[in-house]
Amino acid sequence: MEYIVRTENLSKHFGQEKAVSGLEMKIPKGEIYGFLGPNGAGKTTTIRMLLGLMKPTSGRIEIFQNDLKKERLNILKRVGSLVESPSYYPHLTAKENLEAMRKIVGMPKQRINEVLEIVRLTAAGDKKVKGFSLGMKQRLGIAASLLNNPELLILDEPTNGLDPSGIIEIRNLIKSLPSECGMTVLISSHLLSEIDQMATTVGIVTKGKMIFQDSIEAMRMFAQQSVLLKVSESDKAWRALLGRGMKAGLDNGIISLPQQSDENVAEAVRGLVEDGFSVYRVEEEKRSLEDIFLQMTREEQAG
Amino acid sequence: MLTILKSEWFKLRKSNIIGILLAGPLIGLGAGIGADTAEAAGMMNEWYMILIYMNLPYAVLFLPLITGVLASFVCRYEHQAGGWKQLLALPVTRGKVFAAKYVLILLLVLFIQLFYLAAIAGAGLYKGIADPFPAAIVWKSILGGWIAAFPLVALQLWMSVWFKSFAAPFAVNVVFTLPSILAMNSEKVGPYYPWAQPFAMMYPATENGDIFFIPWEQLITVIGGFFLLFYLGGYFYFQRKAV
Ligand SMILES: Nc1ncnc2c1ncn2[C@@H]1O[C@H](COP(=O)(O)OP(=O)(O)O)[C@@H](O)[C@H]1O
Ligand SMILES: [Mg+2]
Repeated sequence: MEYIVRTENLSKHFGQEKAVSGLEMKIPKGEIYGFLGPNGAGKTTTIRMLLGLMKPTSGRIEIFQNDLKKERLNILKRVGSLVESPSYYPHLTAKENLEAMRKIVGMPKQRINEVLEIVRLTAAGDKKVKGFSLGMKQRLGIAASLLNNPELLILDEPTNGLDPSGIIEIRNLIKSLPSECGMTVLISSHLLSEIDQMATTVGIVTKGKMIFQDSIEAMRMFAQQSVLLKVSESDKAWRALLGRGMKAGLDNGIISLPQQSDENVAEAVRGLVEDGFSVYRVEEEKRSLEDIFLQMTREEQAG
Repeated sequence: MLTILKSEWFKLRKSNIIGILLAGPLIGLGAGIGADTAEAAGMMNEWYMILIYMNLPYAVLFLPLITGVLASFVCRYEHQAGGWKQLLALPVTRGKVFAAKYVLILLLVLFIQLFYLAAIAGAGLYKGIADPFPAAIVWKSILGGWIAAFPLVALQLWMSVWFKSFAAPFAVNVVFTLPSILAMNSEKVGPYYPWAQPFAMMYPATENGDIFFIPWEQLITVIGGFFLLFYLGGYFYFQRKAV
């Protein structure tokens, strides 16, 4: 597979604190990679290292299959980024802010109006940024990240500070980028719902460690409901079910039947009754992605 | 590098830098107009007198101090609202960003020197000085003061990329500038003290065979040496700075 971003054993320590440790990030081409983790998980630190703003304590970064250390300039020409809170020059207007950057990245002047249009900031283009709301600054930051028409777009919590309608707009914009512009997008968030609605690939990080990295479908598999059975002599009952060739789990005296059809559940219950077990409760377990995420992070903390 | 410089210039042009550029020459103008040069009439060229009077506040205090103000000014916008991370995530090398900011400050100092030249002429005209204008000497003084500012600008840029606040680099600057009043009166320390060099380079001495008003060795070792030390210090600090 062609990876646009690949890190090898990437680590960053601040004194004793391991903000990022042993991260193996893999972002395939054309994906929207959701980089998910609670506050303080190390997302921003990772992104800073990807952009060469901060040096890793150890490990290697490859972007566009080139070593970041050796090819930093050529890589950054093809990357757009928005790191943490939006950056801007308060004394300049939105257009002037973009112009200051445009002089360095060297796109035609017309591109400034284009990116302002994309983030719907055209009307405020000639206003000084110091008077902007946080949401407008955020949009300007996104406009700036698109200025050089990048192949890889890195957005760190881009919907922070936006109102609900703004969030939907930006979400739709980000979703359209891979197909319309052939971009690969890395987007970080501490909100699962947000990643769930945009990402095609997910990396979950907590305490600086990657605890899950796969397609969003694979992640949703975790969320599929299972049926829980509370029975007498659960241990024996569980063995009986396995003996009948059924898939079943046992956790804390509760039998779980993952992803079963109605018939299969009926058959399991019938079997248990025939074998003389008492079935006290049959219930469906619904796990939201939030639950899975919490469980993953909790397991990581416990382990 | 040129594109970065253009971008820096663009950001600066939209700010109110002009007031800062004019402050020093106006101080000089005031000192020149207030100076009592009449006593020298007939004994020496009155322009020398006025230059000496104007240089005192300007070259001893103002010029060294303004290097710090300018350095803070050209870094302020990056410190204010996350500008460093945006700028340094563009396809630029840190060395070039540092160099562009350095060159920008030097240009501003040169403008100030030229305004100061205008202030000298203005003060002289106001006083109706009839003596011939010693153009060569005045130019030496203007350019000499500029060159003497090279190491100071480098140190101040180093301090300004380091500290987010305006106060810290300025405090460093004041702490080193004030002793130059003592240093320039000392034959031992004066020639080696970087903050005393602007005054030395701007003081219209008698012909000594060198192009500027201080010996070549002093220019190269003291000004050149401290320039290298401060510039490289700032450069390497900036290379490693995490943003
Ligand atoms: N410059 C820094 N110096 C010291 N500690 C830092 C620095 N930057 C981040 N950290 C620490 O590293 C950890 C990860 O932070 P960060 O990458 O910002 O997390 P996230 O973006 O996922 O919220 C946090 O515990 C934070 O306090
Ligand atoms: Mg963060």
